[in-house]
Amino acid sequence: MNPLTSALWERRPQHSLRIVDAHAHAGPYSLFFIPEAGPAAMVRVMDRCGVSHAVLSSHLAIQLDAAAGNAATAEVVGHAPGRFTGYLTVNPWQDPVGEIEKWGADPRFGGVKLHPDLHVYPLTGPRYAPVWEFAQRTGCPVLTHTYDGSPYNDLPMVEEMAVRYPGAVILAGHAGATPLGFDAAIGVAQRRPGVVLEVCGSYNTGADLARMVREVGPRQVVFGSDFPFIDLRMSLGRVLFSDLSDDARAAVLGGTMTDLLQWRDNARRARSSQVTAP
Amino acid sequence: MLIDTDAMLGRHPARDVGAGTVAEALAGMDRFGISEALVGHTLSWLHDPRTGNQALLELVAGQPRLHPCWVMLPDTCGETGTPAEFVTAALESGVHAVRAYPADHGYDLAGVDAAPMLDAVAGAGLPLLLDAAQITWPQVEAVSAARPHLAIVVGGLGYRVLRQAAGVLARTENVHLGLANLSSHCGLEWLVERFGEQRLIFGTGAPTRDPAEAVTRLLWSELDDGAVAAIGAGNLRSLLRKKARAA
Repeated sequence: MNPLTSALWERRPQHSLRIVDAHAHAGPYSLFFIPEAGPAAMVRVMDRCGVSHAVLSSHLAIQLDAAAGNAATAEVVGHAPGRFTGYLTVNPWQDPVGEIEKWGADPRFGGVKLHPDLHVYPLTGPRYAPVWEFAQRTGCPVLTHTYDGSPYNDLPMVEEMAVRYPGAVILAGHAGATPLGFDAAIGVAQRRPGVVLEVCGSYNTGADLARMVREVGPRQVVFGSDFPFIDLRMSLGRVLFSDLSDDARAAVLGGTMTDLLQWRDNARRARSSQVTAP
Repeated sequence: MLIDTDAMLGRHPARDVGAGTVAEALAGMDRFGISEALVGHTLSWLHDPRTGNQALLELVAGQPRLHPCWVMLPDTCGETGTPAEFVTAALESGVHAVRAYPADHGYDLAGVDAAPMLDAVAGAGLPLLLDAAQITWPQVEAVSAARPHLAIVVGGLGYRVLRQAAGVLARTENVHLGLANLSSHCGLEWLVERFGEQRLIFGTGAPTRDPAEAVTRLLWSELDDGAVAAIGAGNLRSLLRKKARAA
């Protein structure tokens, strides 16, 4: 039993480490009913479990309207700025350059979200080029939906972008999403150090997660839940009970993602050291 | 206390879930604090119900924490005997519940072919366990309406079916939802508030699903301890007491 599962059995929030949810959303979604899809309930669930922070894109942004949806994401972050960071959603059909210019420097946003399956456009397509150039230049992480066998966001396409933009940090959302996808995702992450596996979804288990960590290391695997698309506790439970060392579990649950969100500070430090260097 | 209403022994042909032995099942239950489980056998689901049901009895013999759950078929081809023979054998063998796989086994759960077997299962007081992927919600409602005393538990809901499930729960009293992959955000609390905790039954979907999901979902829910205890074990015990009375 680790401190997290002890807290769970006692039905109290965990406070032993900082948990960051690397894959969250907010708001309603037309395909199905989500009770309490707004930020207040999201914070309540986070508090119930002891989750410190979540990085989110609004459902409006990924499902329909990037401009209105990114504004909605910014509003949700504003609801609880210490608890949320936004993903800037880039829809390749809806002015990618304009959205990056509008929100790229806004501190409410700490990453870029791509959903090629929903937008019916390949991850490798030229309309996404402004995203990759931005990510390569700044270190801003890019979370993309992935799904094994998809014509738009299969794992070989993630690898292709990691090769073309070796300085970009790519979070492979759902890590391929299926058991076959997990195998492919592990292979890509082993070959491409800029690829980080994000583990939410409906088909993975704690055993899958432990295998990812064994095979690619804990600094390339991050916890995400997809909440409120899916309840946060489903994915969190898998990590809690998975066969990981304490250090690895801490890295997966929040340490790595906390570091990845520091890209603006890292850039400032780099500029500062250049200025002061003799 | 947790009793898993949705667990399985046996190998799986398309998932890396181990050998499905009793020892593995018990070790998994210990890992997740699960006291007892209603278990089926993949042999009944994915090969031959009659053979699998008998093999299950042999596996759980002398295992007080594991309770057998048989798989039913329509009696149209006589594969598992007449309905009376099936439920008599089930009760004599200590079977705790019956599971149906109408999609995978090729019949209509709400049709006339399955009706005699469902009537017998209902008459014996055996709960009927279903997986959401195997049924349609109109089928569940039809089976429920025709047999108001048949306890039905639908598991494996995922996160996309609350609109349908809520309608059926509202119009029935004997349909329950299992916790295996009950993954709508705040869905558990919403269902309890709307329909009462007695409509929810703990289950994991092990071993294809990670029991960590259902355990974490329930224990870190916003429900009070009484509701958690009822969902974790009490509600199933109530359903099984009805079985005992019927028998």
